[in-house]
Amino acid sequence: MQKFTVSFLGRDCPGVVSTVSGLLSAAGCNIFAATQSLLLGEFAGIFMVSVDDALTQEALQGELQQGLAKAGMDLSLIVRPTHEEEWGKSKRCEPFVVSADGTDGEGQIAKISRVFTRHGVNVESLRAFLGEGGANHALFVFEIMVPDSVDLGRLRRELVCEGQSLGLRVSVQHRDIFEAVHRIGSF
Amino acid sequence: MLSDREVTNTLNMLRNEHLDVRTVTLGVSLFDCVSHDLELFIANIQAKIARYAQQLVPVCNEIGAKYGIPVVNKRISVSPIAVVAAPFGPEGMVRVCKALDEAAREARVDFLGGYSALVEKGFANGDRALIESLPDALSQTERICSSINVASSRAGINMDAVALMGRQILGAAQASADQGGIACAKLVVFANIPQDVPFMAGAYLGVGEPDVVINVGVSGPGVVRKAIDRLLERGTNDQGKPLSLLDMAEVIKRTAYKVTRVGEIIGSEVAQRLGLPFGVADLSLAPTPAVGDSVGEIFQSLGLSSIGCPGSTAVLAMLNDAVKKGGSFASSSVGGLSGAFIPVSEDSSIEEAARSGRLSLEKLEAMTSVCSVGLDMIAIPGDTPASSIAGIIADEMAIGMINHKTTAVRVIPVPGKHAGEEVSFGGLLGKATIMNIPKGDASKFIGLGGRIPAPINSLKN
Repeated sequence: MQKFTVSFLGRDCPGVVSTVSGLLSAAGCNIFAATQSLLLGEFAGIFMVSVDDALTQEALQGELQQGLAKAGMDLSLIVRPTHEEEWGKSKRCEPFVVSADGTDGEGQIAKISRVFTRHGVNVESLRAFLGEGGANHALFVFEIMVPDSVDLGRLRRELVCEGQSLGLRVSVQHRDIFEAVHRIGSF
Repeated sequence: MLSDREVTNTLNMLRNEHLDVRTVTLGVSLFDCVSHDLELFIANIQAKIARYAQQLVPVCNEIGAKYGIPVVNKRISVSPIAVVAAPFGPEGMVRVCKALDEAAREARVDFLGGYSALVEKGFANGDRALIESLPDALSQTERICSSINVASSRAGINMDAVALMGRQILGAAQASADQGGIACAKLVVFANIPQDVPFMAGAYLGVGEPDVVINVGVSGPGVVRKAIDRLLERGTNDQGKPLSLLDMAEVIKRTAYKVTRVGEIIGSEVAQRLGLPFGVADLSLAPTPAVGDSVGEIFQSLGLSSIGCPGSTAVLAMLNDAVKKGGSFASSSVGGLSGAFIPVSEDSSIEEAARSGRLSLEKLEAMTSVCSVGLDMIAIPGDTPASSIAGIIADEMAIGMINHKTTAVRVIPVPGKHAGEEVSFGGLLGKATIMNIPKGDASKFIGLGGRIPAPINSLKN
């Protein structure tokens, strides 16, 4: 068996999930991991599938493309071989949440995330909330995994400094505090 | 993945609503330091405190930074000194108090509590020595807090101790007259004192407590007030119906839950890092003089023109109860006082109500029958007779004894000042206008001494 990662991107409407999962099934794909998300009416879905060794990447791409056209779905499609290696699996990491808020400006996400890259910190989730705290207000929430080897104090200082130069207030907090405050844990 | 509401709500609590861990208090038992030799005893207690407190401040700062929640105060509570230093006289007690002050300074904590005596049923030699030493001990030290338990629901009220404390409070005020009687701000008289309270000035480590333990005090009046304000702004409850007090109680309860969880997570981690057991999280709405960090402002949000006006006792009863319910759901280790504090000088809104005459001592006394502490941080005229102070203490102790709850008195008779004048204690202790005390003479009643017997409902065995 070989594994592929298939991603779909396009306008959301009722039937999108049903269509793409149906096409994968018809192409002989067994879905072993899936996630989907919506952003301002745009659908994005990632499916990890295992298929028979006889089915090539190009053949799967072609078959799915045809199926989408036939179903009248305006979705972009990418098929890639799945990599078994996952970043951070071999490292001891702690989850942190970095929130940056202030007046919206150019290049803010790029400059903040450059600090993460410098420290070898991986961003697992990024969301931007624009205009919700008033006109021109921006709030960026990065959920990051910080390896134990990273100097947290230094990372925090650099993020705060970078934030100041961008007109953003930056907080760095361990993720557990958000869960502790808002969620009733399971046993 | 966290939801945007979870993130923004937590950020708001931190940035705009003064959410913090008010105190991490390291409890250290001093029973194994006991010696008949004063110098050896002092060396023992300083060594033990240093051993466990050395890492307290850096670890608290580090954990506070990790979660983005400041740990404002780091403190130490110790076994009641009247018991562990029982062989020594008043002068020896003052030496012990100074040694504790030195240990607190070296550990870089802001207060050390436990210069205490438990005398609800009678005095042992150590108790008498400690109480006698209070004016000198508290005026000659900076960071030591003292609590004297003079009553309990099981033992009744030791009226000899009440009378003595009336005199010693005046003595402590006189001994620190150059600082507005500040020694009295570090001295509390209790009924039913809890053994694990992390807040000052009442913190001490009870006899049944572990050898060393971490207790945490969480506050958050600003968070509660903002949560109520947000609900009022929305105008309807979860079912879209007009708001009622039931909805207010619910929002206070939920907020108390969140705040307690913060305390528990930080307290447990500090304890784990120090290799010590975690004791209790005490969720008490403890104000600071900062605007927006006030218990009095909650009364205004709940529709009263000011704390002190008719309805205040009812509001406080609801507030105190909702805080306890939210806190007890959030943690199985809730302890200490866990309720609402109403310290006059430490709360800008309560102080303003007292200054303008909207809040009287009598109303404060009524309110203490439904909240977690008592008459707290109240400046009274410096010429108040000791018997009147003792009378105020006796009234407050009676409320605690009969209602099976903690009550306390921390009054400051400000030397040379009269009702209406102002005094400033600085920092967290705030400033206060000196309040009128009830007229009349209690001296004969106080002079009777003896004990007010325990109430009938103490006979439970």
